[in-house]
Amino acid sequence: MNKYKFVGKPIVRIDGREKVSGAAIYGDDIDFGPNLLYAEIVESTEAHAIIKSIDTSEAEKVEGVFKVFTGKDFPYKFGLYMKDRYIFAQDKVRFVGEQVAAVIGRTPQAAKKGAQLVKVEYKPLPVVTNQMDALKKDSVLLHPDLGEYPHVPWFFPKPKTNVAHWRKTRKGDLEKGFKEADLVFEDEYFVPRYAHCAIETHVAIGKYDLGGRLTVWSSSQSPHTQRHLFAEALAPMGLTHKDVRVIAPHVGGGFGGKAGVTMEIIPAALATKLKGYAVKLRWTRQQEFVNTYQRLGVVAKLKVGVKKDGTITALDHKIYWDAGAYVEYGANVVNAVGLSAIGPYRIPNVSIDSVCVYTNLPPGGAYRGFGYSEMLFGLESHMTQIAHKLGMDEVKFRLKNAIKEGDKTAYGADMNPNGLLECIEKVAKEIDWGKKIVSKDPKKAIGKGFSLFWKAPAMPPNASSSAFLKFNEDASINLIISGMDIGQGYQTVMAQIAAEVLSVPPSKIRVETPDTDRNPYEWQTVASHITWSSGNAVKKAAIDAKEQILALVERVFVIPKDQLYLEDEAVKCTTRKNFNLPLRDFVVNGIMTEDGTFKGGPINARGMFLPEFSSANSDPETSQGGHPNVHYTVGAGALILEVDKDTGKMHVIKAVEAIDAGQAINPDLIKGQITGGLLQGLATVLYEDMRYDEKGKLLNPNFTDYKIPTAMDVPDEIVPIIVEVPQPDGPFGARGIGEHTMLPAAPMIANAVEDAIGIRIKSMPFTAEKVAMAMLNLKNKKGK
Amino acid sequence: MAVVHNFEYYKPLKLAETLKLLKKYGDKAKLLAGGTDLAVFIKEGVLFPEAVIDIKHVKELQKLELKKDGLFVGAQASFSDILESANIKKDYLLLWESARSVASVGIRNRATLVGNICSAVPSLDSGPALLCYDAVVHLASTKGEREVPISEWFLAPRRTAMKPDEIVTGVFIPKPKIKNAGCYLKLGRYGGEDLAQAGLGVFVNDKLEYKLAYCAVGPVPKRAAKIEKLLKGKALSTVLIAKAMSLVPEEIAPIADIRSGKEYRIHMCKIMLERGLEVCTERMKGKIIDTLRILGG
Repeated sequence: MNKYKFVGKPIVRIDGREKVSGAAIYGDDIDFGPNLLYAEIVESTEAHAIIKSIDTSEAEKVEGVFKVFTGKDFPYKFGLYMKDRYIFAQDKVRFVGEQVAAVIGRTPQAAKKGAQLVKVEYKPLPVVTNQMDALKKDSVLLHPDLGEYPHVPWFFPKPKTNVAHWRKTRKGDLEKGFKEADLVFEDEYFVPRYAHCAIETHVAIGKYDLGGRLTVWSSSQSPHTQRHLFAEALAPMGLTHKDVRVIAPHVGGGFGGKAGVTMEIIPAALATKLKGYAVKLRWTRQQEFVNTYQRLGVVAKLKVGVKKDGTITALDHKIYWDAGAYVEYGANVVNAVGLSAIGPYRIPNVSIDSVCVYTNLPPGGAYRGFGYSEMLFGLESHMTQIAHKLGMDEVKFRLKNAIKEGDKTAYGADMNPNGLLECIEKVAKEIDWGKKIVSKDPKKAIGKGFSLFWKAPAMPPNASSSAFLKFNEDASINLIISGMDIGQGYQTVMAQIAAEVLSVPPSKIRVETPDTDRNPYEWQTVASHITWSSGNAVKKAAIDAKEQILALVERVFVIPKDQLYLEDEAVKCTTRKNFNLPLRDFVVNGIMTEDGTFKGGPINARGMFLPEFSSANSDPETSQGGHPNVHYTVGAGALILEVDKDTGKMHVIKAVEAIDAGQAINPDLIKGQITGGLLQGLATVLYEDMRYDEKGKLLNPNFTDYKIPTAMDVPDEIVPIIVEVPQPDGPFGARGIGEHTMLPAAPMIANAVEDAIGIRIKSMPFTAEKVAMAMLNLKNKKGK
Repeated sequence: MAVVHNFEYYKPLKLAETLKLLKKYGDKAKLLAGGTDLAVFIKEGVLFPEAVIDIKHVKELQKLELKKDGLFVGAQASFSDILESANIKKDYLLLWESARSVASVGIRNRATLVGNICSAVPSLDSGPALLCYDAVVHLASTKGEREVPISEWFLAPRRTAMKPDEIVTGVFIPKPKIKNAGCYLKLGRYGGEDLAQAGLGVFVNDKLEYKLAYCAVGPVPKRAAKIEKLLKGKALSTVLIAKAMSLVPEEIAPIADIRSGKEYRIHMCKIMLERGLEVCTERMKGKIIDTLRILGG
């Protein structure tokens, strides 16, 4: 497509050289001089207990220990969607690893030594580590005061239970739908918790200067949201939003783990009591595992009705989430999936119950996919099973039921334009669907697996983005925005969008990491919404600049604006062929007129985007009536899997993924996302295996026993396919694709394993051990 | 991660000096070669040595020496040193393959084989190879030198025949006298670096003498003597291999831990025996086989 000059082109990342060469500065690299203090956290050793006493006297005696703080110093709550989390544990701890106290040292050694000497006396309470147990009537309650917690209006907590939120979605007539069905099939699926495993662990430095303002340097996906939550939580200290400043340097990976606020609240709060000093807190890998967010665990119960011809008539989807000790962010994962658990299918009669349950495990929260991976593992395993029961090809079954533009979503809104059918067809063709491959090695079996996926950005209806754009003397541009480049290529893509509007090449556009004092508001870099939302704001800012430029030229040269256009960094005219006014001649210093006076001046532009059509107002019993999701991005994937019949080890020979990006702003970056996302998804199904003991302690908070893939574990071949059915309200038609790329991985593997060896596995992960033992059991059964 | 524990650090240049320090500190001292275990243990507060004796600069603890009658692996030789030697790959393929399976490139550049047998964790990859080659451990102290056959070296998890005032100067691996083939099969959870869920060294020679040694499926790495006896002098057949596989549960004592269940370990030790014997048979015929993905994945 040659519609555009810079959009749709594989422009090399503008931040690439800086990052690859090591020049990029990350949070821990910043030098704060000799007045930097170090915080070390005293962590709860209990999953659920009353704090009887905290004795800090021995810690205070350690040479180099500056101060010790406990919950008494900061009796404040915080949270994004529900205020249920504390800066430090107050009377109670609710998970192993929760912050109970902080020791501040002149050196990291002193702080650590001091932290080892803080004595905390606990009175243990019953521990509940499983959501199904926590739902039982006689279960211990984690939050007896749940009814008093402030929360967003679209959450429905059930006080005096462990249910923090219950999203109900009802459409059509479920009973009638099942009656119409020729086949009703029920099954259960299990997905454990997962960790993000970003290469850079969390780090934040707080500084409360002598003038009384708080600055926090933070490895973050959400600088403005962090500023807001810091200002809210620390309001009792006399801080207001203008007094709080968040500076976000480069980030070494986020995947949702650095969204919202987790550990950053600690140095922000500590700083307010350490006036004049900077105080740093950096998580170890172990802390990164237990005290940020984890992906929530899921038990899903599915019941689907179909007619003989494959038409889906009804879906009953019950999803129970292990959301952990605090759900201030995680409850919105539950909410998002509760609205979308039909998957990318047209289903007339629907019941969804998505239940957010407190447990004594680490807080659940945002993780790439925001619940959709967990939901799709069950749903897409189920769809394949039911197609097989009907004796129907599973791809034909999916084509028949795939959602189309104008079909109703579960909450009653119209489905947006999308290329789902094109994705399915292209993937089926590329993977040679329907053609069975027989391994030459008798020890191996080969199978194919297919899966669809969809996901909408999960965000409040008023989540917004904004952009400033200013020209420099040489017509280079500073694009001042507040999204974070967490690997996806955000800075490059925003530069391409501005470049397209202004005819200035992306290489002449500088995009820096944000500082909330100087950069305009951005909600968060989450939800795969940033290309769409921040892209719209950048496009509007660029159009604003263009309008200013053309208006000036019109005024000075008396050429009607509609005859002027921008090309190759100059203003040109459709009616006067020789008219060519380079931008660098006037975008800062103005245009000189005949009498020596200048007209115009620096071109400074702004843009803002808020989806004004979105609404979270709906009937709590049915979720009908609102427009909570702005749009869905859809796609399909398939893979060829080789399974060793003796060892259970699996190897992906080929993987194909097609995604409807609306308009690929940068196809190379999308291909990178498909490769990386797919690998992250494959890791959750093949390797990552989080283990807790019955007391709620994580047994493998390290890469020795929590395995994420290496270069040795990449599929032999990955084919990325970009489909482009434009999103009408997206910048140049673009919509987000970042999270989606990992969504189909687990069901593809599940379906391929069954195709290869005839065994349906319904609980993740599919370790080689699990597959081998399943085969061995089958063999033994057959033997008898 | 901050290191809270304080200790004396010594960097001797001579063996005699090292031995004197060992005599002085005994088990209150820890020797530092690669440091891939020791540094982590000190950081994480698992070990609190009074003294750390850095032996990286001790001249006598040379790296590698290929002699006519065998290979001497000095205390400073890293797994990468072993991997870089084409002669070791040619003459001691089982050792070479076990070295390749240790951790990742960065760790192999630091970690030493001698350190591996001194740490003596049950999953140590070098164990099966040394057992199959009948290696000899060379020790020194202020009292003199002594040698311990590898079969008497491993006493329990993390416990060896070494005394507190001793240092392992190196390991001697006699050169097999007649035509032979070997391989090391390691079961890990993925393609990247991992601690063995189970490991098996297989060695066969022209006289049909078989040597088999497992690691990670018992408190110490151990030869499978009953299976060796069964196979001795016999050419392999499907029936014979099946009989050998059925003896596996008698040879190993695996536990269930975070890395694997007990049943899977037993099952896989049988499969690894089958595939290991197949590889060696083919290699005896001169066939070139890469064992990297021999267990699938």
